[in-house]
Amino acid sequence: MAACAPIDAELSRLVSGGISISLASCSPGGVPNMARGCGCRVAPDGRALTVLLVATPAAALLDDVRRSGRVAVVFSQPSTHFTVQFKGSDARIVPTEADDPQRAADYVERFAAELAALGYPGDVLRTLLLACPDDIVAIRFTLAAGYSQTPGPQAGAPLGGPA
Amino acid sequence: MKIRLEAIRDCLEGVIPGSIATASADGTPNIAYLSQVQYVDGEHVALSYQFFSSTRRNVLANSLARLALIDPFTAAHYRLTLQYLRTETEGALFEGMKAKLAGIASHTGMAGVFRLLGSDIYRVLDIEQVPGRTLPPRKARRNPLLALRRCSEALRDCADLECLLAEALAALAHHFDIEHAMVLVPDALHEALYTVASRGYQSSGVGSEIPFGHGVIGVAARERAPIRIGHFSSEYAYGRAIRASLSASGQGDRLETEIPLPGLQDVRSQLAVPICAGGRLLGVLCVESGQDLAFDYDDEDVLVALAGQLGATMLLLQHGADGPEEAVRGRAAVATAGGRPLVVRHFDENDSIFLGEDYLIKGVAGSILWAMLRDHADSGRVTFSNRELRLDPRIRLPELGDNLEARLILLRRRLEERAAGVRIERAGRGRIRLCVERSLQLQDVPRQRPNSFTRS
Repeated sequence: MAACAPIDAELSRLVSGGISISLASCSPGGVPNMARGCGCRVAPDGRALTVLLVATPAAALLDDVRRSGRVAVVFSQPSTHFTVQFKGSDARIVPTEADDPQRAADYVERFAAELAALGYPGDVLRTLLLACPDDIVAIRFTLAAGYSQTPGPQAGAPLGGPA
Repeated sequence: MKIRLEAIRDCLEGVIPGSIATASADGTPNIAYLSQVQYVDGEHVALSYQFFSSTRRNVLANSLARLALIDPFTAAHYRLTLQYLRTETEGALFEGMKAKLAGIASHTGMAGVFRLLGSDIYRVLDIEQVPGRTLPPRKARRNPLLALRRCSEALRDCADLECLLAEALAALAHHFDIEHAMVLVPDALHEALYTVASRGYQSSGVGSEIPFGHGVIGVAARERAPIRIGHFSSEYAYGRAIRASLSASGQGDRLETEIPLPGLQDVRSQLAVPICAGGRLLGVLCVESGQDLAFDYDDEDVLVALAGQLGATMLLLQHGADGPEEAVRGRAAVATAGGRPLVVRHFDENDSIFLGEDYLIKGVAGSILWAMLRDHADSGRVTFSNRELRLDPRIRLPELGDNLEARLILLRRRLEERAAGVRIERAGRGRIRLCVERSLQLQDVPRQRPNSFTRS
């Protein structure tokens, strides 16, 4: 697995902004599981991510992460197609911070604003992602690998080695 | 209750991109967004394969995958368990997805980047609805089954092709609010389709042609499969396609014989459905809209069903069109008006006909008119039966796929639109009458050496 450069300020701003977030895991039987993210924090050194999720719809993925520590997270900005995927093998479920419910609510509004600019109504997104604050969980992992997935010739290229 | 794939087709229209989770042989997960998820049948979907990705590498090693889909109206969130089966790189499904992807690419600024390499076919093993809130389902625009019934009823009394096609297009407008539609029929000799009926366009475009394999219409004809795109794509814009095709084949100098295709200037959505019966392609029904994503899977179902009835009726009418022939042959009853004669030129090379300086028609329809005009000039005949035209050696009608009636409709409409004093009209079952309202001067231009074809 390719090593991954730390997330710089610009990338940090992107992945913490109103961007589509999805996660995948793998069950012991080899069947993948998946869930949508509802917010993201980047560690100050840029080497770890904490992704917020709504626990109930992510139950199977959370089970896999507890068991294997492996996770994949993709971020994609609909307006630009900018897409990046990070992988971790030490993922664990960590306690949420006090401002995480607000962070998740802000995320949904920022993402809705991004989509509104493209003509998509926001109520569907809010219905999909707005969660009861008690149901928010966080997964933290250090970046084991990162890839560009923006459509085009560079799709699949690693984000670079350790800095 | 098990969720059926049919019940969640709204999720497959691409409004909210789906995502696919896969895992490598060693259990490393991967997740990617998808440009396109295509409904294949009740148990299969096809995903677009655009470049060799981790997803592809994974499913080749571990065929199990999960697909997340979101209903763009209710926010209902579904997860499908899939098993990768195979990749198709040609055929109806592939061409349908390629056309749709071209529209998506163009709409999202990805023209030239999104390119379909294959259609990955997956079996749907399970569909689960993810727990979460949903919005109330959207109000149905109409009951599609009832609207289809009304369309079907509108067609059952049509006794000739022209009535059938006009009623079909009117019924689509009345019962489905589809205001822009056309029917094209194939010309077996030229490997093209020509417009025989249209509705909702500034000019009828009757007689205009599109080559097989070009635009949504030409691809629908070639693949005998519905082609539906929800966003404008220059790749499938047929106005350009025919011009490019003609230039490529070195026939660009003959563009003066081109009749502009009907079509919306700002077309965003197109759906072309083949009309087939008895194992033959009889035509293509194409509907258009200026709105993005105007036609959905339900509309496609409706048009395919309607095209079935159209095809069966067209075949029936084609076989019965000749009818019992009347023995009496009409003579010119009305003396043609005097004045300056209209010069009618016939170019033997492609049977094109010019009325004065204006191009009228070419091909089989041109040879039909020329035969009638010659007979009229020689003997004053005005009435002709379909049967004798079919057998006339001067008319180069292809033996297979012959649709004389479609050509007569085309010819009648073109003469009507030219309004040059020459018309044809129906004269009872299986018969047509030539009406010449001014004196004519016929000029036959024999075949010349290649590339010397000119209008003068």
